[in-house]
Amino acid sequence: MADAVLFEFLHTEMVAELWAPDPDPGSGGKRRSLSVLEGLGFRVGQALGERLPLETPAFREELDALKFLCRDLWAAMFQKHMDGLRTNHQGTYVLQDNSFPLLVTMGSGPQYLEEAPKFLAFTCGLLCGALHTLGFQSLVTASVASLPACKFQVVIQKS
Amino acid sequence: MTVHNLYLFDRNGVCLHYSEWHRKKQAGIPKEEEYKLMYGMLFSIRSFVSKMSPLDMKDGFLSFQTSRYKLHYYETPTGIKVVMNTDLGVGPIRDVLHHIYSALYVEFVVKNPLCPLGQTVQSELFRSRLDSYVRSLPFFSARAG
Repeated sequence: MADAVLFEFLHTEMVAELWAPDPDPGSGGKRRSLSVLEGLGFRVGQALGERLPLETPAFREELDALKFLCRDLWAAMFQKHMDGLRTNHQGTYVLQDNSFPLLVTMGSGPQYLEEAPKFLAFTCGLLCGALHTLGFQSLVTASVASLPACKFQVVIQKS
Repeated sequence: MTVHNLYLFDRNGVCLHYSEWHRKKQAGIPKEEEYKLMYGMLFSIRSFVSKMSPLDMKDGFLSFQTSRYKLHYYETPTGIKVVMNTDLGVGPIRDVLHHIYSALYVEFVVKNPLCPLGQTVQSELFRSRLDSYVRSLPFFSARAG
């Protein structure tokens, strides 16, 4: 596997180049913020969702898929496990990373807090794409209250 | 023993960072002028050392000392220069300066997507980690010197 820093630097440049433009704005021309980065993350997540669980038996439940994201997907992408997983048992999950690797080098505290969400869009797409491959449709959003901790909220869409 | 101050320069002579801990005498000129003066001196010393050495050089310029203080110098292949002034009792600290570069500058500036390179470092995390590291060094002591 490539040195982690290669992805980190590439991700930095992807955000710098892509966070603003959206070649396909929705109705009314309003740009859907960060959608290009999410789209890239989605495709990577789709592929990882196919590639990673080679040795794992099929997931029986939604929760198993979420646990897979917290352990295997996170370990493959970020060389660590997600710190926490909570659910309301109605299809909404909150994944908590207390030291998210793409935010760690920025600092701890208010500096850079305003720009931090740009660096989560790709990873939202990653989670959504992996779930899609595993048979679950979802909406994933992220929030940062204080660097370098962040939360990813996953809402599984009922089909 | 003690640490007086530290400068970090890039290959173009930009002073990326300056910190001081036990500096008793100020230069009496604007900070920007002081940084240029220091960089110019180091540039000349490095050139002098490489030209005048009677033997093939391995590490280039490492340090100099006066009757009152010692200047330590470390340069990376990319031209980042870490310069630390200490008192006379401090031995070679190449590993310390290398740590400042590799574990602090690379980790919290180069890898920070919001830190533009080639400019004065704004990251508070870098500043606080550097300060903690220097204060933890065995030759950093406010009681002596």
